[in-house]
Amino acid sequence: MNTLPQPSIKTLVLSCLFSILLAFVILLIAVLPAEFNIDPTGLGKAMGLTVLAPSQDSTPQPAIITCPEVQAAPPITADKASDPAGQKAADHNPWQDAVFIKVPAHKGLEYKFHLIKGETLEFVWNTDGAALYFDFHGEPAGDKTGYFKSFKEATQNQSSGTLTVPFTGSHGWYWKNTSNKEVIINLQTRGNYRIIGFP
Amino acid sequence: MHLMLKKYTYFIGVLLLIFNVDGFAHGVDSNTAHFLSTQHEVALVPFLYIGAKHMVTGYDHLLFLLGVIFFLYRARDILIYVSLFTLGHSLTLLLGVFYKIQMDAYLIDAVIAFSIIYKGFDNLGGFKLLFGRQPNTKIAVLIFGLFHGFGLATKLQDFSLPEENLMSNMLAFNVGVEIGQGIALLFILTLLGFWRRHNSYFTFANASNTLLMSGGLVLLGFQLTGYFTAI
Repeated sequence: MNTLPQPSIKTLVLSCLFSILLAFVILLIAVLPAEFNIDPTGLGKAMGLTVLAPSQDSTPQPAIITCPEVQAAPPITADKASDPAGQKAADHNPWQDAVFIKVPAHKGLEYKFHLIKGETLEFVWNTDGAALYFDFHGEPAGDKTGYFKSFKEATQNQSSGTLTVPFTGSHGWYWKNTSNKEVIINLQTRGNYRIIGFP
Repeated sequence: MHLMLKKYTYFIGVLLLIFNVDGFAHGVDSNTAHFLSTQHEVALVPFLYIGAKHMVTGYDHLLFLLGVIFFLYRARDILIYVSLFTLGHSLTLLLGVFYKIQMDAYLIDAVIAFSIIYKGFDNLGGFKLLFGRQPNTKIAVLIFGLFHGFGLATKLQDFSLPEENLMSNMLAFNVGVEIGQGIALLFILTLLGFWRRHNSYFTFANASNTLLMSGGLVLLGFQLTGYFTAI
């Protein structure tokens, strides 16, 4: 078996200097430009690495994922057009259902609606003040694997929009209250759904 | 010297490749994060998997382990040192999550990066050469294990795990970490085993530990920059 070369101060110093130099170069021309947009040499920009860095005004807060399914206006569906009376009634009283949901301090809960694929859920909700972390998601009916699709995830004190559901199943919100006091959500909805409520 | 440089350049290539593949955001990826923050039930197997994945893809933990076992040849020694590391990180992972000890993720990762630098320097014989004696390696691996565990605990807590079933989910994560560590070690030891049969292992011993230090320094620089730019 071979043996190690006898260590000496000289090789130690050389090794340390080399490792520091190497780390410095890697940090300077690759890591800092790509991760933090810090590019003193300009090489990161020249190599196109800085495009990877998050823009400077963005904060390292949880990412807000918006989904194309959440649209500003609902698509006009055939059955709505064939039911002008229903449409008129809906115009008068824009919301079909309204509910107050209490989220106790340091607790999270879900509120769900059952919708058939292609149906829309229009909604608006706001809290009595504090922002809540929420995950607006759907679970396909009959699924046992725990799969779900997230439509929007953010921390806000209100949200509104229209969701055309991509599959039949339960759709709704998970809210988490990380504050020390109870938060009340006022949720108003409209659409062709069945209320599941708290699962 | 020329040949030496050539060898180094080869290693730099490998090093860059490894780091570029994974990026530097060694946390939990967004899908996993999503699962963690919406999980309110017992989910042993998913947590097991997340723990294992975290370790298998956790190059900071793996670089440290590589440094620890680099000069260990006997199975018994490897077992002792890896057990000490496991004891250290499990202790702080469980206590950290249980008592909600939150540390700054950048700072704790900076300490983990320092552990890699320390071990590389130790393997280069730095302590013996400079101070005439080497600090107890078993105690060092245990203490650094404690810091690695705080790192794991901090990552797991980032996702505000629900109170219900915290214990069982946390334990599953911990067991997953050990499974992942075992799998990663199996690969590392197999490769080291092959390499040790060749003279290049000894020729490269110095270079390898120099690069280990470099890796640690890059991680340290990354974490500290992250810490100071995040404020």
